Amino acid sequence: MRRSRLLPWYALLVYLFLHLPVLILIAFSFNDSRFTVWTRWSGRWYRELAGSGRIVSALGNSLVVAAASTAIATVIGTLAACAMRRFPSRSNRALDSVLQLSIVTPEIVTGISLLALFQWVFRFADFGLGLDTIVIAHVAFSIAFVLLVVRARLAGLDPALEEAAMDLGATEWGALFRVTLPLLRPGILAAALLAFIVSFDDYVITSLVAGVGSETLPMVIYSMARRGVSPVVNALSAILVVGLGLLILAADRLQRESS
Amino acid sequence: MSSRLRFSSAALAGPAWFWMTLFFLLPLGIVVFYSVLSKGDYGGVTLPFTFGSYGRFVDPLYLRILARTFLLAALTTVLCLVIGYPLAYFIAFHGGARKNLLLILVVLPFWTSFLVRTYAWIFLLRDTGLINTVLIRLGLIRAPLPLLYNDGAVLLGLVYGFLPLMVLPLYASMERLDRSLLEAAADLGARPAAALARVTIPLTGPGIYAGSVLVWISSLGAYLTPDLLGGGKSILIGGLVQNQFTTARDWPFGAAVSVLLMAAVGAVLVEYRRRGGYAGGTL
Amino acid sequence: MTRRRFLAAAAGLAACRRRPAAGEVNVYSWSDYIAPDTIAGFERETAIRVNYETFESQDEMLARLLAGGAHYDVIFPSNSLVGPMVRRGLLGELDPARLPNLAGLEPRFRNPPWDRENRYSVAYLWGVSGFVYNRTAFPGGAAAWADLWDPRLRGKITMLDDPAEVLGACLKKLGYSINSEEPAQLAAARTEAIRQKPLLRAYISAEVKPQLIAGDVWAAQLWNGDAYQAIAENPDLRYCFPAEGVAIYADSAAMPAGARNRDAAYRWIDYLLRPEVAAAIARATLFPTPNARAVELLDPALRQNPDLYPPPERLARAEWFTEISPQGQSLRDRIWTEIKAA
Repeated sequence: MRRSRLLPWYALLVYLFLHLPVLILIAFSFNDSRFTVWTRWSGRWYRELAGSGRIVSALGNSLVVAAASTAIATVIGTLAACAMRRFPSRSNRALDSVLQLSIVTPEIVTGISLLALFQWVFRFADFGLGLDTIVIAHVAFSIAFVLLVVRARLAGLDPALEEAAMDLGATEWGALFRVTLPLLRPGILAAALLAFIVSFDDYVITSLVAGVGSETLPMVIYSMARRGVSPVVNALSAILVVGLGLLILAADRLQRESS
Repeated sequence: MSSRLRFSSAALAGPAWFWMTLFFLLPLGIVVFYSVLSKGDYGGVTLPFTFGSYGRFVDPLYLRILARTFLLAALTTVLCLVIGYPLAYFIAFHGGARKNLLLILVVLPFWTSFLVRTYAWIFLLRDTGLINTVLIRLGLIRAPLPLLYNDGAVLLGLVYGFLPLMVLPLYASMERLDRSLLEAAADLGARPAAALARVTIPLTGPGIYAGSVLVWISSLGAYLTPDLLGGGKSILIGGLVQNQFTTARDWPFGAAVSVLLMAAVGAVLVEYRRRGGYAGGTL
Repeated sequence: MTRRRFLAAAAGLAACRRRPAAGEVNVYSWSDYIAPDTIAGFERETAIRVNYETFESQDEMLARLLAGGAHYDVIFPSNSLVGPMVRRGLLGELDPARLPNLAGLEPRFRNPPWDRENRYSVAYLWGVSGFVYNRTAFPGGAAAWADLWDPRLRGKITMLDDPAEVLGACLKKLGYSINSEEPAQLAAARTEAIRQKPLLRAYISAEVKPQLIAGDVWAAQLWNGDAYQAIAENPDLRYCFPAEGVAIYADSAAMPAGARNRDAAYRWIDYLLRPEVAAAIARATLFPTPNARAVELLDPALRQNPDLYPPPERLARAEWFTEISPQGQSLRDRIWTEIKAA
């Protein structure tokens, strides 16, 4: 394999393309001036963030929603992954297709379809849009991601271990809970992190099914971004990017753990 | 867990079926149902049933929107392929010990907030944004260039957003490439360029296909990027759907457009699975 | 800028709960449409928490309401929408006995044509739709809607992201009524809009202000109050009452039919009608207030501004937005899609 002289430089260029815009954004969040002219280092925009009730409560909403939807989606998705591995039936293949479809369906379509569903529900029940409807929507699109990660992990597990457990007298459920799931733990954690990230970052679907007082962080960013560029948005973006980035790294580390 | 609940496919897959049926399939079904109803005043739907909404697609105006969206999606896919292939090649064949790090550096942007990444381009491209400010300071231009709020900006935003989606399947297929084939080609006297064209590219076909499918589908349904970078002037399919459900108040038509969009995406997916798909995945 | 940041901060003290407690009111209003201390003052006095959310267009508000499930207690429909909303059962009737400060409104807003005797709505702020321009780009000044079709301004003009406003401007430019439902006239207006589109930077509403201030945008169709918020931060900006005519509108406070905190809503609306509160709002937003007692409390420089408080001869050349019939609205909605898709 002859080494090309140009290729590494090309790769560097592409990496710069991928990362520079956000890095510049983060850099300017420390700029004292609100204009695109660098004056000096300052943490004032971060201070402003901390003092904004709207942003703090949106952050709280995002965390609550992400935590709830992650918990539910991880459980449902893990069980489904176990089902697909143990029972490769037609109906499970169908479930797999449905979940794949949910990944590729455009968010705008998922969002308005859920809105249409909720509308019907509201005619008969005294509910309203709120954080719970957001959680429902998030679980629906997160399950597929959980499935993807857990299945990949499951594929690497030796079925002999479960058989051995059952030979020793465990029930099937027992084998699942005492042997398989513990072995899957890094994969389940990675899947949970992924579900958390996907939920935290969602804008399109969330904005359609959010109710009064359930504004999430991406909704705040969007609404501020629409009104123009502001260093506060830069600061908010920086926090979001760094936070999610750390979670990604953690998820990746978990996925590559001793398999 | 007691043995009262039988260990079965139904028990394990049940919750997933329940959730997806109720909160994914059923809503889509409602949308299909809406698409054959009539528009209510100021929004909403009413009887009678009609296929009128689908009939509107023969209007050249909407055909143009469809065409523009498909074209933009195709351009995005091609650009992602052209830009991403050499990068994937670099990681797969020249990455060495740092392959994982290099991969992570590609994946990281993709998962950390699409919204923020799109916003970053607003920050860079606007008239008083960084690019124009630097160019003016350097004396290269006198008036700011209108970099934002046009199709070019949208294309840039889409390519930027979906490039990782192309690189990963490409990398996966390159990883699985049998290196001995390439060695054989070299032994037979093929020059690197020829080896690339005749061996590598054809053998990484599945990866190219998978990446292209992913990027194309994602671009087709894109809503956020055209919304923020396009200036509300040019509508693509995603914007048309949103528009019909809000300002234009024509839910049946919005539903019909959604159905069509789903049909396009579904058709590509079916074809993809029929050809065996590719386990390269998005991770 | 400080005002805007404060408004953003004041605009949402979210509650995680869905079931509202007795001491809460959910308000849905235009952005930048309130004074920095209005909410705080109300909360201090009544101990009722105000959940304040904003929209950027009437269509957004209507779509949210029609989508259902979002339980607001006070909303701010434009006058042309009040009638249709009442007929759709979206608005609840108001009991004037619970709004003692109603008497402070100017007579023409006490019994307006769109809502006789204020049965469903109470005027909050009104305004006109003209355009704001940067005088460095218009050395001879700007005087007509036709000026926004000038090819020299390519990429530097914006129009409101609102079908009624864009069509209104085009219709006025052609000499028709802004409320026209005539297919031929609307088709002509559509042609004008499509002719202008290549020159436009974007269809954008109040969000254009930072770009006007920064000089990215040289001319923008905009409401007078918003325009003056921008003018306050960039003295090169001027407002224009186009010669072909402007549109007038009024935004009113109303209670949706499904409102849950009716008592709190009444108190909020009555609070907004207080002269000193209305005056503070008028000073902060710069939009003309329909509250006669509040006007008396304003600075002469403000209330004599002919752009913000147009004198009778200017108003005579202006035209109120009125209700559009459902068929007319359908036609306009379709035309708007065609303009956006062109």
